[in-house]
Amino acid sequence: MRLSQVLNRQHIDFMFKKHWLVQGKRIPIDTGVEKHLKAKGIKVEDALEFIQGEPEKRERINIVGPYERPLPLDRNHPDYKEQPCYTLKSTNVLLEGIAQAQVLTKTIIAENTLPPNIEELAQVPAPSAIHENIKKAILSANVFDCEQKKLPKIKDPERPAYNFPRILGITDRRRNQILTNRLLQLVEKSSDSEATLSKYVLNDVESKTVFEKEDDLLQFQDISHILVTSNKPVKHDVEKNVKFTEIPDLYPVKHTVTLPPEHFYDETSKYPIRPSVSMRHPHTTWLHYNATEVGNIFETPVTQQQILGRSLTHAFTVASSYAKQLHGEDVKDLPEPIYINCIQTDGQKYHFGVLELNTLNVDGTEGTKNVWYCKNDVQLYGASRYFSGMPVLEHYNNKVYGYINALYNC
Amino acid sequence: MYLNRVHRTFPKLKKLISRPQSQAALSEQNEYSETPEYPPIVDTSLQGRKLRERQTLHQKIKEINTVEEKQIALNMPKYYGWKCVMLNEDKVPYNAMPLVQYYTRSHFIPVDKLPQYYEEFSGSADAVVQEIKALIEEAILIENCGVERTFTTTVDKPENSQKEDAFAKCIVKQINRIITNNLTDKVEHALTSQIDYDPRHEAFWFVGGIDPSERLVNWRKQYEWLKDRLHEPVDRPVQYIGTPMLTIRNRQPLKPLVPYSDAENPEFRVPAVTHVPILTGYYESFRHGTNIPGYWPGDLDEFGLLSYHGRGHILDRKESFGPQDNLEALHCQAMKASFGWLLAQANYQGFTTFNDITYPLATQTVITNGQLWSLYAYQLNTIEMHHDKVDNPKSNICFGTKPLKLYDSIENGKVQGLNEDVLKMLVQFYLNAPEERDHEMKPYLGQEEQVVADIEDDNRRCWLEKRYKHLVANRPRHELLPETYLWEKIYKIKFNTRFFEAKRRPFELGINPFNRRLDEHLPPYIPKALRPYPRSRKTFETTYYPKV
Repeated sequence: MRLSQVLNRQHIDFMFKKHWLVQGKRIPIDTGVEKHLKAKGIKVEDALEFIQGEPEKRERINIVGPYERPLPLDRNHPDYKEQPCYTLKSTNVLLEGIAQAQVLTKTIIAENTLPPNIEELAQVPAPSAIHENIKKAILSANVFDCEQKKLPKIKDPERPAYNFPRILGITDRRRNQILTNRLLQLVEKSSDSEATLSKYVLNDVESKTVFEKEDDLLQFQDISHILVTSNKPVKHDVEKNVKFTEIPDLYPVKHTVTLPPEHFYDETSKYPIRPSVSMRHPHTTWLHYNATEVGNIFETPVTQQQILGRSLTHAFTVASSYAKQLHGEDVKDLPEPIYINCIQTDGQKYHFGVLELNTLNVDGTEGTKNVWYCKNDVQLYGASRYFSGMPVLEHYNNKVYGYINALYNC
Repeated sequence: MYLNRVHRTFPKLKKLISRPQSQAALSEQNEYSETPEYPPIVDTSLQGRKLRERQTLHQKIKEINTVEEKQIALNMPKYYGWKCVMLNEDKVPYNAMPLVQYYTRSHFIPVDKLPQYYEEFSGSADAVVQEIKALIEEAILIENCGVERTFTTTVDKPENSQKEDAFAKCIVKQINRIITNNLTDKVEHALTSQIDYDPRHEAFWFVGGIDPSERLVNWRKQYEWLKDRLHEPVDRPVQYIGTPMLTIRNRQPLKPLVPYSDAENPEFRVPAVTHVPILTGYYESFRHGTNIPGYWPGDLDEFGLLSYHGRGHILDRKESFGPQDNLEALHCQAMKASFGWLLAQANYQGFTTFNDITYPLATQTVITNGQLWSLYAYQLNTIEMHHDKVDNPKSNICFGTKPLKLYDSIENGKVQGLNEDVLKMLVQFYLNAPEERDHEMKPYLGQEEQVVADIEDDNRRCWLEKRYKHLVANRPRHELLPETYLWEKIYKIKFNTRFFEAKRRPFELGINPFNRRLDEHLPPYIPKALRPYPRSRKTFETTYYPKV
């Protein structure tokens, strides 16, 4: 017996390799059908003759499919708009950071200053039970939560091709969600019932504002991870003799740099709460900085200035969409200023800010301007993680709670 | 060693050295007693020996000090994980209630209002309801028609159930906020409790007395000594996985709803459902057993008070199942969720599916879509239901209501027909205060070491922490699972056509690769450059698997 026969039968690769050889040598077998058919008087036609004529032409069928396909998003789309709208989303940052944000929103900044009533309230010491609970919250957000999802890849700049084992753990989104919600719950639990009854807390609501600046159309779309609203607009007494940082000149950069132009957009602003609701006035808005989700469009690392810029544009988005709902889409200088508190955090660092929105006319650098009071880079804790198998919380700063409490209760 | 050598060199030295510490054996000691003392008679049959093996294993697990090591010990026999019956929270097949009841040993008591135990909170609950009624109405209104939201949906679940769950979550957050803010001044535990959103709840246990599958019966047929044990029932590992929308937990446990002695009440016994679980519609998958109540061991708030679950999965059930089965599906979800959460908590107290709890635990569960609310109170009396304890007289108790409407409808910007009774029951759940128990809570854990973080040896602590997290992550393996290829089944197993080849595959050597133990692997290699001193012979790193 030849070995190839066994191989052909049993070795699947060998079989495929030799398959064309076997198939190429096929000889048509006489099945005896023709004889049978002739005997029954049925006419037999030669297959080769049958296919010789011109093939019949058929119309092309339009296949509908399970659903109607959406039109491609290009110039021919009915919703396509000629004028591009420069869009800032919560996953993008401004190239020049806080300076560009100042130009875009026509805002002057009072560095390291918050309105005096907040500073006063922030100095009130909190009971130790509250601090214990905050420590619990920090630990449960960083250490004790059971989420095990893929964390970003670890890269060593010395040897960029090296693959480290992928670590599973708590993602920054989840960590911020737990920590900020716990902090707010604690503030509410320790506040008077008057303060809590007049407020409402919403999670993950989207605001959008569309405005013109020097013939460019811009829109800011932003998500408030927590939005605290109240039954009357928040008011602050502001100091007059504060040193402001004036609006800088960005030259040679244009103020719309790194804002991707979009041709499909809606020209109306949107504030998430309908005017029929009594507790709709924005009070404090919390913004998370999730390092894995926010980035430059050119993939360079996000700088500290860019993170600070996010706070300002975020507060401006919420405040101006609220102002437009209140006074109409075309309002320019507001009859009375709108205040909004803003807290941005990456869990560890807290950036507090208060925006005084005076005008929605953001052309040029003269005339009425908006004011941004801020206190940046307050650290809540040094480190919190599993350190050699033990849960660790280092350098807890008890001042931060005072500010969060003050912003809620002012 | 040294002495030996000396003795060989100077043979007479041995006689010279006196042995001051050695004594002659006591010859007077009485070897006889009045009545004869026989060694215990042990059952030497195969079953008897296997039973003793299992009992030693259970005893060893009981004696382990820390929570994490106990969890690793549960998984020690299986390198590739157990073939678990997957009881997902939101998957309830048709007519699943008898099976779920049997697998969780839950006696279900349908009620219209909360059990007797909650009477004491009735008065204060009424007062709270009057205070918060208007606020709740306003919150329902705002959530229904005051806020514009965009829910992002995923493709792995039907869209309408995801939307319903997302909406229910918004309502639950608001109602929880209103009630806790109101109660902060009134009850102490409102301030100290922790509130979790979307925690991870998992539980793992063994259910004994289940019929063997046809495959197993066929396997048994090939052995002579299994001839009369073909249909002997088997143990099934069961894994529960669920994600509540919101949970509240505290440092102290809730008081039991009924006295612990009631657990052995024969009226509460659950009828056995022994058929193969796949017949009901519960499937199996390979995974390591995990017990996770929403936090890692070491968190001090380790007893659950209340958990909220969504009921979006009801929308995904077939219409032909009918309203009665949908109602039972809710009961199933509540029993699975309550048992699963309490079992995981009990595991953090040092009990496992092999070592029964010594005191009862209780929890409260709410299933809602914002408008319909079903409320359940659950008491855990036993977690031991494996092969050797099928006749465990204890059973768990679940009280549950039908879905009740919190409000009828929303018309002209007003909530119509707010049902204060439902609200009152919910407030009673919140008023139910946890209390310190006067008995030992963790009898099977060590005195000094209760979790891995307490271990003093740095290497052991780090290794165990890393191994435990890796085990419970159940992350996909780097290498594929062992497999018998189809061509092998045809050409090697069914028809012996390749007799001339060397036999190297596991099935040819009579090895079941799935019987590999968790520690049957090479530990990480220590490169020579990293060894403690140049000539160190220690080639592999130490492993600290629990010795069971």
